[in-house]
Amino acid sequence: MSRFTMQEVGWEPRLPPVEMDTATPAQLAALEACPPAQRGSVYFRTLVHDPGSLGERGALFTKVMYAPKGLPRAERELATAVVSIVNGCIYCTSVHARRFVELSKQEAVMRALLEQGIQAEALDARQRAIVDYSAKMTATPQDTTAADLAPLRAAGLTDLEILDLIHAIAMFANANRLMQSLGRSVPPKD
Amino acid sequence: MSLAEEMSLTDIPDLAEHLLGESAASPLGVLRRQRADILKHEEGAYRELVLAPEPGNVSLAERAALALRGALIEGDAALAAHYRALLASHGDASLSALAECFPAPEGEGRLPVLFRYADMVARTPEACEQADIDRLRGFGLSAQDIVAVTQLVAFIPYQVRLLAGLRQMQQESAA
Repeated sequence: MSRFTMQEVGWEPRLPPVEMDTATPAQLAALEACPPAQRGSVYFRTLVHDPGSLGERGALFTKVMYAPKGLPRAERELATAVVSIVNGCIYCTSVHARRFVELSKQEAVMRALLEQGIQAEALDARQRAIVDYSAKMTATPQDTTAADLAPLRAAGLTDLEILDLIHAIAMFANANRLMQSLGRSVPPKD
Repeated sequence: MSLAEEMSLTDIPDLAEHLLGESAASPLGVLRRQRADILKHEEGAYRELVLAPEPGNVSLAERAALALRGALIEGDAALAAHYRALLASHGDASLSALAECFPAPEGEGRLPVLFRYADMVARTPEACEQADIDRLRGFGLSAQDIVAVTQLVAFIPYQVRLLAGLRQMQQESAA
């Protein structure tokens, strides 16, 4: 039985989150700049202890995941789910697995990745190329060369799509570490 | 290090392009500017964390040391060289030496504890526990300091993967 799931996973911080009624003006301003659906979350209220870095890093995250054109959003979610699986972040995996399924309607693909691991069959050639590249860039970025781009090119990825893929992979090298150190994933009860 | 060199280390307009020897007008530079906001916030996050205008209880020298350890752990020689020079510009020879000691020293001093936490976030963040955060608080680090340190250490793996991907694209277009 895999520890990864598409169900809702909780996240508990290891620092008391900032409370809105005692937040400083700088903290409130940094939260204002975050996506409305997320600014009240316990994760953002933990990161806002350092408002300067939340402001920049939060804006970076939003652009990496949502900037228009380039790599389709479902494929950004595929990459970030794979990075999160490789890094063992159960919380991030669950969130981005769900977003991939919402956007792509390909639940069987994500289920196979979660249950069988990233070598799972059931992926088409373009997904396979994205998954393999994401896994290698996560585990051993220094061992990569131009040859690692060849399967992506063969699957039809453009320059901008590859750049977007690199950004998504890099973003989750960051996000997984923040989530795993500043708090812990709380898996759903069976 | 002369004042002029120190200035140049903190005045680099875009760290990735500087380390890759690319210009804004090169094909890769033009491609990256299709994502101008990403470029801006990559640079903004780097400045906010490593060159922090308000560094709190974690000094700019300590921040450079943490960034250097992260780059060494990831094995990115160019990024490590940048952070080594930045750390050297702060003129603390003992901190410079300690920053390159692996594994991080044992013991309950402030720097050993900070380095061991940073190394864990970089290498095995899954192993972090409540006690690791509490130990940092015991050295007088505020919640803001702890979040800043964690953000900083977690940002180096971003930079490393960005550089790795951009190097692949450089190689590809040179072939």
